[in-house]
Amino acid sequence: MKTRLLLGLPAVALLLLFFVLPYVEMVAMSFRAPASGLPFGEGHTLLHYQRALGDTLYLGALGRSLLMGGVVTLLCLLLSFPLALHLSRTQGRWHVVFFACIVSPLLIGVLVRNFGWMLLLTVDGPANRWLLAAGLIERPLRVLFTPGLVVLALVHVFTPFMVLPIATALRNISPALREASTSLGAGRFETFWRVTLPLAFPGVQAGVVLVFVLSVAAYVTPALLGGQGVALMPAIVVRELIGSFAWPFGAALAVVMAVATLSVVAVFTLLTQGLAERTRA
Amino acid sequence: MTAFLRSLSAIGLGLIYAFLLLPLVAVVGASLTAGEMMRLPPQGLSLKWFGRFLGSETFREALALSLQVAGTTVLVVVTVATLAALCHRALTRRLGAAFRVAMLLPLLLPELLTAIGLLFFLNHLGLGKTLPGLQIGHVVIAFPFAFLAIVAALEQVDPALEEASASLGASGFETFRRVVLPLVKSGMLTGGLFAFIVSFDMFTISLLLKPIGGNTLPLALFDFLTYDFDPTAAAAATLSVIFAFCGVVLIERLVGLRRAF
Repeated sequence: MKTRLLLGLPAVALLLLFFVLPYVEMVAMSFRAPASGLPFGEGHTLLHYQRALGDTLYLGALGRSLLMGGVVTLLCLLLSFPLALHLSRTQGRWHVVFFACIVSPLLIGVLVRNFGWMLLLTVDGPANRWLLAAGLIERPLRVLFTPGLVVLALVHVFTPFMVLPIATALRNISPALREASTSLGAGRFETFWRVTLPLAFPGVQAGVVLVFVLSVAAYVTPALLGGQGVALMPAIVVRELIGSFAWPFGAALAVVMAVATLSVVAVFTLLTQGLAERTRA
Repeated sequence: MTAFLRSLSAIGLGLIYAFLLLPLVAVVGASLTAGEMMRLPPQGLSLKWFGRFLGSETFREALALSLQVAGTTVLVVVTVATLAALCHRALTRRLGAAFRVAMLLPLLLPELLTAIGLLFFLNHLGLGKTLPGLQIGHVVIAFPFAFLAIVAALEQVDPALEEASASLGASGFETFRRVVLPLVKSGMLTGGLFAFIVSFDMFTISLLLKPIGGNTLPLALFDFLTYDFDPTAAAAATLSVIFAFCGVVLIERLVGLRRAF
């Protein structure tokens, strides 16, 4: 038995060395002094945090990133719940087909999926031509390089991350509970509202936290589809790191973004704790 | 009334599934055009843009680097994840759950933050902007995917089989090689497939950690999309769609999709 536990050592070592230590290094880097010509200098300073928290440029970008993360999460939830419910109610061969439809986008790079939206929504793309032909619009819509398209593409990227935990939670609900509710005289809607939804809540909570954390820090989609107009936090961080080689300041911005994201997650978890606990009782 | 509601919800679901799949269809469609422009629907069908893709030195070099990194990632990740999954199996329920969450952390935290930490840390070790550094980043991010698949496969193995093997006098390693290994082989293959696909498509880690002068395929594709816009890009992207499709079919054959996720 002891020897079996030793088998976990390589994985633990891998993650300690190349995952935990890098995060520690990131925090340490954010206190380093800047230097000209080099990514960072000697000595320590709190200057970067003062700059990051004192400038409306960075606070504005942080606010926009958090807001966009929230909108993306909400839209993902609205699309994912019906999908997860549908998935939990189909059986056999069709179940596998629908399941494949939901998870296969997960196996395709974010870049490729964003590129698909570019193709569909360009000025002379099929969406515009179809809308023109149907007479719904008078001139082609210019959606490329707008925040709306970034939100749409991010919802597309993260929907599978929301469907999977909700579907797992729904699958674990015993059908007997629904039957009991119906036989006690509850309607279909009431059963859904008072039995299914509360029992699926842990899945919803997990999905919401995961999608929010990932979408606030998403870099590729805004970089490709967002254009130069509105700056979001991840783009600013990357620009500081590989554009201006200001590593300590970039690290400070990254830490600020991570702490802000975690604070929102903590507040959300506390606010919904009651709902989650009701299902456990 | 119920019939009306039912058809309404069917239409709604159909639209959501279309939303999920349309961009993929668009990419494949655009790559098959016989015309010179990136347009949908394609103007005539041909495979010439795949030829142009393979004829482009930039793309060929990027593809070679991506395949090399993904191949190495698979070998490392499957070995480490199999060992970790065996350890996970030996733990108590509570400890096992904690261990599992710890192993999944690189998947649960944003790739961008991990990439930034690794950028600093690898530089500290003298591995900044090198191929081994890039390789380490890919291994860390791909690891949880393989771990999940192998743990799922191991859960299907009845512990009684191992006990029987041990009570018949087999050593721990012998039991692993002759009883457990044949039963989890498909899980390891699935884990390897996941790791390959994740590494092949990885963007942010590669952007921050790429070696000087080296580009992976997603990076080359991003540059191409920002500066040029012809169907070569669609051909490059279609490659990723094909890998994913083969992956889904293989996983379904090997262990069943449901169990792998």
